[in-house]
Amino acid sequence: MANGTWRIARTRGSAHLPLIIVAALAVALILIGKAQSSIFDRARAHVMDWMMPALEASRAPVNVANRWIGSIGEIFTVYQENLRLKEENARLRQWHSTAIALDDRLKRYQLLLHAVPDPALSSVVARVIGRASHPFLQTMILDAGKNNGIKPGQSVVDARGMIGRIFLAGERTSWVILLTDLNSRIPVTIEPGSVHAIIAGDNSASPVIDTFSQGRQLAVGDQVVSSGDGGILPAGLPIGTVVADGKGYRVALFADLSTAQDVEILDFKQPPEQPPALTSNDLPVTAAGLPPEAPPPDTTTPATPQGGGPTPAGPGADLAQAPPATPAVTVAPVQPPAAKKVPGATQPAPAGGTADDGVE
Amino acid sequence: MERVGSIMGSKLVSSIIPVLFGVLGVLVANLPISFLGGWVPPPLLSLMPVYFWCLVRPDLMSPGWAFAIGVLEDIMSGGPPGIWAASFVATYAVIDRQRDAFAGLSGWAAVLGFATAALIACSTDYTIVGVYFGRLVPLAPYVKEFFVTVLFYVPMAFLLGFVHRRLVGPLRSDI
Repeated sequence: MANGTWRIARTRGSAHLPLIIVAALAVALILIGKAQSSIFDRARAHVMDWMMPALEASRAPVNVANRWIGSIGEIFTVYQENLRLKEENARLRQWHSTAIALDDRLKRYQLLLHAVPDPALSSVVARVIGRASHPFLQTMILDAGKNNGIKPGQSVVDARGMIGRIFLAGERTSWVILLTDLNSRIPVTIEPGSVHAIIAGDNSASPVIDTFSQGRQLAVGDQVVSSGDGGILPAGLPIGTVVADGKGYRVALFADLSTAQDVEILDFKQPPEQPPALTSNDLPVTAAGLPPEAPPPDTTTPATPQGGGPTPAGPGADLAQAPPATPAVTVAPVQPPAAKKVPGATQPAPAGGTADDGVE
Repeated sequence: MERVGSIMGSKLVSSIIPVLFGVLGVLVANLPISFLGGWVPPPLLSLMPVYFWCLVRPDLMSPGWAFAIGVLEDIMSGGPPGIWAASFVATYAVIDRQRDAFAGLSGWAAVLGFATAALIACSTDYTIVGVYFGRLVPLAPYVKEFFVTVLFYVPMAFLLGFVHRRLVGPLRSDI
C-alpha cells in the first residue's frame, strides 16, 4: 500500500504524447460522439458481439451463486410462502375466468363495431448477459441481436411488465436502456381516467411522472401502461403503479430490473397509415355541390380507346383522371392534388400562391 | 545479440503489464455481476492501475494509455464516448503535477491519496455528464461509486504492489 516503497521514476520519456494533446483528443472525442454517436455505437456493438461468449461464461457462476445465496434465506420462509402462493393462486384463478369472459365480450364488441384489429405483435425471448449500473447509465445487454430480428426502439418486457427499450443492436447482442435510466422517456397512460403522461428515469428505482395533462389528478395505486403514442411502442404494456414521493408522483415498476434473467423483446408491427384514395367526389367543385364542367373537346390529342391504354395507378390515380382546370370557371382554381396531401403525387403550384395554399 | 533481444522482450512485457491491468479492470468492472441488486455501482477498477503506475512508473503509464483505458471504459460501460477518457486524463494531469506529494504517502495516507484521485475522476465525470446532457444528474450514484472504488483500492493496492515488485520491477531491472 505504501507508495514510498518503490523508487519513483521521474520522467515519462519523450516518445509519449504530451498531456495537452491527449486532453484535446478526449474533448474532441466527446464532441464527435455527441455529433456522430452512430460511429461509436457501431464500435460498441462489435466489441460486445466479440465479447459475448465471455459474458455468457461469466454469467453462469454468478447465477449459481445468486441462486444459492437466495435459496438460503428462502428455506426459513418456505411454509409461509407456500400458503401465500396457494391463496394467491386461488384468487388468480377467479380473475383468469373473469378475464376470459371479458376478452370474449371485447372481441364480440370489436366485431360489432368493425373496430380496427390490434397490430401484429411478435416477440423474441433473450437472456440477460450483461448489466451495467453506472452513475448515469442503467443498461442491460441481451444475447439477441440483428440476427434475431432485433431493432432499436423495440420494447423489452419480462413476465411482470416493461423493462425498457432496445437502443443499440449488434449482430448477436443488443443493449437495453432501462426505464430507470436518466435518458429514458416513455409516453404512458394512467388508468383510470386515461391520463396521458411521460415517465422519465432519473437513475432511481422509480421513474418520475414527468408531465401529465393539466387539471388531472393522480391517485396512489393508479395503473401505468404504455400509451402507444408515436407508434413506437405497443399500447397497454403494463409498467407499474403510481406512488407519491412528497414532491410529486413516481412509478413503482412491476418488473424487477435488477434480477430479470429472461426477457421478451416485442416486435411491434404497426402498419403504416395509408391515406384514403381520392375520388372525383373529393374535388372542391363537386364538394361544393356544383356540377363539374365538361372538359372542352380537345382536337389535338387522339381519343383514348375504350378499355385500352395504361391505367394510372397509385394513390393519385383518380386525380390523373380528373378534368383539367379551365380559366373560365367561377369557383376557385381547381387544385385537386393540393386539396389533400398525397405522398408521391405531384402538386402543381397555383398562380399567385404556393401549393400548400389549398390545404385545409 | 541474444542478450539485447532478451532485454527488449523483458522491457516490452513489463511495459504491457500496467496497461493490461487497466484493460482487465475495465472488463472485470463491466462484467454482468450485480452485487446487492445493482444498488452499488461497480468500482472504477481501471483507475487503480492508472493511478498506481502514474505515480511509480509514469513511463509505463503514459497519458495516452490513460486515455485509451478511459475510451475502453466508455465503450464497455455503454455511456457516451470520451467522458471517462476525459476524466482519466484530467486525473492523470493532477497526479502528474502533484507526484511528489502523492508518491510520498504510505499506509492509509496512500489510500487517501487514491481517494483524492478518485474524487477528481468522479467529479470530472459528473461535471462532463451534466454539461453533456444539459441538466444536473443525481449525485448519489457518484458518491456510491466513489466510496466503492476507494474501498476496493485497499486490496488492489497490495496486488498492484506485488505485481510491480515481482514482475514489472525485475523485468525493468531497476527496482
